[in-house]
Amino acid sequence: MTATPAPSTLAEPPFRVPRDRADLQLFLQAALTLEHLTIPPYLTAMYSVRAGTNRPAFYAIRGIVLEEMLHMTLVANLLNAVDGDPLVANSQFVMDYPALLPFSRDKVPIALRHFGVDALETFLYIERPEYVAEPPGHPSVGEDDGWTSVGQFYATIREGVLRLTAELGEHELFRGDPARQVGPRDFYNSGGEVFAVTGLDSALKALRAIAEQGEGVSRTVYDSDDQLFGETRQPAHYFRFDEIRRQRAYGPHDTPASGPTGPAVDVGWREVHPIDPAAKVAHYPPGSAVRRAAERFNQVYARLLCVLESAFTGDPAAIRTTVPTMLELRDLAERLCRNPHPDPAKAALGLYASPTYEVTEAHFERAREDARLRA
Amino acid sequence: MAKHLGDRGRRVLVLEAGTRTLDTWPGHLDAMNTYYAALAKVPNSPYRANAAAPSPDVLDLQGLPEGGYRATGYFLQNGALPYASDYQRATGGTALHWMGLVPRMHPDDFTVRSAYGYGRDWPLGYADLEPHYRVAEHALGAAGDAAEQSDAIGLPFPPGYDYPMRRIPRSHLDHLLATRLDGTTIRETPDAPETTLRVVTTPHARNSTPNPHYDGGRGYRPAGAAGLPNYGERCVGNASCTPICPVQAKYTPLKTQATWSRRVTLVTHAVVSRVLADRNGRVLGVEYQRYDDPAAPGHTTATAEADIVVLAAHAIENARLLLVSGLANSSDQVGRNLLDHPMLLTWGLLDRPTGPFRGPGSTSGFEGFRTGPARRARAPFRIEIGNWGWSWSAGSPGSDVARLLGIPGDTGAPRPPGVFGTRLRETLGRDVGRQFSLQFALEQDAESRNRVTVDPAHRDRLGNPRPVLTYDLSDHVKRGMVAAKAVSDHLFRLLGADDRTAYAPGPFAPGWFRFDDRDYVFQGAGHAGGTHVMGDAPATSVVDPWQRCWDHPNLYAVGCGSMPSMGTANPSLTMAALALRSCEQIDRDLRELRRPAVVRLPEGQP
Repeated sequence: MTATPAPSTLAEPPFRVPRDRADLQLFLQAALTLEHLTIPPYLTAMYSVRAGTNRPAFYAIRGIVLEEMLHMTLVANLLNAVDGDPLVANSQFVMDYPALLPFSRDKVPIALRHFGVDALETFLYIERPEYVAEPPGHPSVGEDDGWTSVGQFYATIREGVLRLTAELGEHELFRGDPARQVGPRDFYNSGGEVFAVTGLDSALKALRAIAEQGEGVSRTVYDSDDQLFGETRQPAHYFRFDEIRRQRAYGPHDTPASGPTGPAVDVGWREVHPIDPAAKVAHYPPGSAVRRAAERFNQVYARLLCVLESAFTGDPAAIRTTVPTMLELRDLAERLCRNPHPDPAKAALGLYASPTYEVTEAHFERAREDARLRA
Repeated sequence: MAKHLGDRGRRVLVLEAGTRTLDTWPGHLDAMNTYYAALAKVPNSPYRANAAAPSPDVLDLQGLPEGGYRATGYFLQNGALPYASDYQRATGGTALHWMGLVPRMHPDDFTVRSAYGYGRDWPLGYADLEPHYRVAEHALGAAGDAAEQSDAIGLPFPPGYDYPMRRIPRSHLDHLLATRLDGTTIRETPDAPETTLRVVTTPHARNSTPNPHYDGGRGYRPAGAAGLPNYGERCVGNASCTPICPVQAKYTPLKTQATWSRRVTLVTHAVVSRVLADRNGRVLGVEYQRYDDPAAPGHTTATAEADIVVLAAHAIENARLLLVSGLANSSDQVGRNLLDHPMLLTWGLLDRPTGPFRGPGSTSGFEGFRTGPARRARAPFRIEIGNWGWSWSAGSPGSDVARLLGIPGDTGAPRPPGVFGTRLRETLGRDVGRQFSLQFALEQDAESRNRVTVDPAHRDRLGNPRPVLTYDLSDHVKRGMVAAKAVSDHLFRLLGADDRTAYAPGPFAPGWFRFDDRDYVFQGAGHAGGTHVMGDAPATSVVDPWQRCWDHPNLYAVGCGSMPSMGTANPSLTMAALALRSCEQIDRDLRELRRPAVVRLPEGQP
């Protein structure tokens, strides 16, 4: 196996409640990066499943990853509402994997892994509902404690939004151009709904949707899609991953303490294409079909983020064109995962190729150049 | 109807002849796999055969080398031309595989006899149905543009009304055709009046962008997939609407069934074998056959009693059930007037890529031939712009691959040399990418000779007589096809397209016929109707304007079977509007059953 490099880390905002608009924008940009951080590992697990197998797991991960995309969009809406610029088309936005989960007490590396117990343990850690420490400045929290959980980070943003609304007035805080808001008219196709953030109420609703789709409503296994969006409620992300890990579904009366007591969930741990979590494009021989697909994947991913950035910074309708791009990424990812690793030693271990998510500034420059040529 | 009656507090028992696996997500995925593996992607290809409740299949028909056809399968056919449509007997029914187009009928469609001298008039008109159209558009989740429908077709809508969802985006082909043809005028014959061409978007029962202004600003929440939460809330252009939408963005009745109240009970594996009635004409209930394993013979018989019985089993099955029960037929019209939308397909290549095989099968059409004085002489038609290349007309793209490989499907002749590898891919990309087709849906007029009968000598495995169909096209319809082909020729010329349309007898052309010394091939649209025709007099029709059998005050036969003419719109929306209208009368009937009597002393007593 390749020697594991030190995990990359996200630059965390200072440990305090956002003091002013610029501070809040900094926090929200970090939140945007955080929401995106989960997407490559979830997609990697999803696309490593052998075609036509592990369907409950496939659709569970698919539903969750779409909700993470919703969270990204809601954070972008919130950032636009407070007159910020959601920036996603740069190489700092795409973390190097393995990456450390930010805002957490424990330093758990998040790697790109195939579907399996290791991947699910990581996902469970990411989505874990735990005791959330109060925001910084609260009497129960020491000045130098540092961030202890993602929940605490979001609670801090919420506190900042409330304080700044009181300080500046709702109208002034949410002075961003409403034309930048991505709304239900633009595309969305899973749990929850994209909605415009135009004031305190919609801002708090966005923060609530993000927290409760992930961790569930306090002391239950369910999210609040029924209350917020009039949709079917589902187990929150943590509990949907837990259902797969434990191969058993949560029933209507189950609680986090009871664990799942519903029907068995069919999981085939062997029905996957195992991959090397440390795979890099450089490991694939130049000129090989796998190398070409891996490079193409990174290039198309850069294009996806460029389109997303233009959707978040003035042209919300552009978000529709991300759909064919995501399908292109799906096809490339499946092509990679269904080919044995080109390194004979790794192929002998049963490993397959995989997307590496090494998206560099050169990729972004080229994507922008291509877009200019098309226009 | 079950939903509306259940929501009003009525107890409803729904007897379903088929199985209900499809309303679970694994059942849906099984249907997807069956579809992927099917050699011919016909409308029933995703759905497993059920020997206890057999369904007809379009593959049951085969054309003969010199013309004529051979019919196998569930239907027995003895007409001059074949009835070329199928249906599906399973929970969700034929609307599992429908295309999902929901245009409204033209106001003129209701008065073809009085205004144009052919077919049969409806006992009600557009204005009677209009409020029910709106309810149906809500129930099915329709995406459309009311202003465009009103402006281009002349459909009346109440002021301020728009569809629950924005119209489905036009395909690349729609845009190409609109750019080249909009505003151009053509004449179908040199002395005919001019018709102005205009590409008009078609309303769909398919999830698109919700309309925030709908319902007085309350908006609309798209209904997602049955069996998987939060899925299928938008059409993603999978391009297999018929026979199955992979994400279930297309409406199917399974979505409505998921919202039934607890007062509605669904019993599957229950084949209704006859309707029971007393000598006064009052219906008592139905007899039905319960089976367990669709593959194994063996069933038990039970009865269900009800205040009101509604037959909603498809036009042909409704007629079959009435015939085997010996009911509702004092007019001798049960089973007669069998209708479809005979389809004439034309196809060719444009000079540039058309972007085929993306999105719903048709997103726009030409609506200018739906009515007008020409209707007196020939059947009117709607023209659908086909987004899926020559898939319907010529089996593309599979047939293109086979032809290039040198293995055409319809000949035993020696194989020509094939094209392989890069050249195969390039040739396919160049040719398949320029394919387009036009689909002319002709209104069929009611004729009593086109009919469903039963023959006790031919039964299905449960012992129920199978439908015997006698079908033909009138000269009125055939003249409509002549006009349709003339319009197609004009359009292809205006487009500068390479017309590849060819009609000849053969195994894939059971619908071949000659008319005025020219060959034609028609297809079925799956729009069966007419078999328990609605009218305003018991002597000449089977059901009244509420779809209640004239002969039986508590027996309803609902569905397209009630339609006196097929009109110029795909019929499902109108069928739904009629059913919702019938719910009102059923509600009144049920209240009437419990009408209290006022007890008084006889006159003159203290």
